Amino acid sequence: MNIIQALDFPFFQHALVAIFFASITFPLMGVFIISLNLIPLRFAMMHVALLGGAIGLFLKLDPMILGLTFCAIASMALGPISERMKLGVGTVSGYFMALTLAIAFVLFSKGNIHVIEAFSILWGNILSLSKTDLIIIGVLSLSILGIVLLFFKEIQTMLYDREIAINIGLPEKFLYYLIVFVLGLTIAVSMRVIGALLVDAFVLLPALGASIISKSLRQLFFFSSIFGLVSGLSGLYISFIIDIPTSSAIIIITSLIIGSCTILRRRFI
Amino acid sequence: MHHSIELIDVHIKLGNLLVLQGVNIEAKPYEFISIVGANGSGKTTLLKVVNGILKPFKGKVLVLGQDLSLCKKLHNLRKEIAVVPQRSNSNRFPIRVEEAVIMGRYGKIGLLRNPDSKDWKKAYEAMEIVGIKEFSKKSVHELSGGEQQKVSLARALVQEPSILLLDEPTTYLDQESALEIMKTIYSIHCEKGFTTILVSHDPYWIEQYSDKIYLLKEGKSNLVRKKE
Repeated sequence: MNIIQALDFPFFQHALVAIFFASITFPLMGVFIISLNLIPLRFAMMHVALLGGAIGLFLKLDPMILGLTFCAIASMALGPISERMKLGVGTVSGYFMALTLAIAFVLFSKGNIHVIEAFSILWGNILSLSKTDLIIIGVLSLSILGIVLLFFKEIQTMLYDREIAINIGLPEKFLYYLIVFVLGLTIAVSMRVIGALLVDAFVLLPALGASIISKSLRQLFFFSSIFGLVSGLSGLYISFIIDIPTSSAIIIITSLIIGSCTILRRRFI
Repeated sequence: MHHSIELIDVHIKLGNLLVLQGVNIEAKPYEFISIVGANGSGKTTLLKVVNGILKPFKGKVLVLGQDLSLCKKLHNLRKEIAVVPQRSNSNRFPIRVEEAVIMGRYGKIGLLRNPDSKDWKKAYEAMEIVGIKEFSKKSVHELSGGEQQKVSLARALVQEPSILLLDEPTTYLDQESALEIMKTIYSIHCEKGFTTILVSHDPYWIEQYSDKIYLLKEGKSNLVRKKE
């Protein structure tokens, strides 16, 4: 089967649409991870999703839906909780991570849950996405794009210096909570698309490459999307041609882009 | 006419530490007020109280006639208060000087609107006043400490505030840059008619420019000099 024939199959069409939207918009959230130092949030979301999956299996409900719902609730709660505790979101994410994993293991132990089955929530598969998944990815992508376009100047101020954002009278807290919430959702959806262990491929690595060569926030967002799109589509294509996992192909291509950016900066920037 | 700033018997705790315990300060419109005190005496804390970031557990803070404890839209009031921080931004976030300066307009422009040509004109005027217009397209992190401090000052200027808060703006500058910055600040203060509060260690600036000098010691304020 060649790639043209593969386009006739709904699973491949779904993968293509998902990669197209997600690889353009999800790396925009990677810019926030880097600039606001939110890397621990990704680990927290993985464990929160695992707890949701465990509860789903315990209650005989769809573990994926519960996993995503738990991620949405956790990401909504993280900002205000960190504010109350006077700790950074990264630190509170560590607390969430440990607590949710502990509760999940209690459920595994007392609920006779097959651990591998619960962990399956963390393995995404881009070739098994449903139409509902595509709708979720589409809505999330449009939301991310909307936030970046509508609040660009406020985001720029906040990423540059949060204290300046407060001092000049911007609703900094609202924006920060909004970003943490959408980032939590992005990580949760990425887990479904590409798997928890490879979320970085979609969200973080393109932004990392862009941060090496960008001289303004506009460039940073632009190159993040471009690198995401290039690695997403070419990763899907290459994985199909030489029969390797799509996620791995995407990560290898993004890593090559990051390497090229580093060389480019040394030589020309 | 009401005072621009009035702190009445302000008490502030940071954790378990009582940092301010009965601070009384008055600043009338157009006055240049200096706050002096040893390290850890609560000078920066005091500026955060004026800006509404820290709330006193006892006492009253009135800014432009508004009681901060009753103020529902604090972020609107902050649009009238410009802050020049002690430190320059040390992160390597990619941003040009002109972008870092026009940020001062963002509060007044409001959400979902972009700066127009008038806003940019004001930003370039501010850069010209503080002498950084030639760097407008450069990245902020490529500038020296003194130049970055001027970026902060230009941003404060473009905000067109009623109150200017200066938190040891010359701390990390050499003598020459410090002199230049302070001259610029004072001429802007006189020209624009802000109420200015300067927190500083350096007695030279304080003596030269201040209408009133307050000493912060052991969490209490004392008016030590008032220009007649």
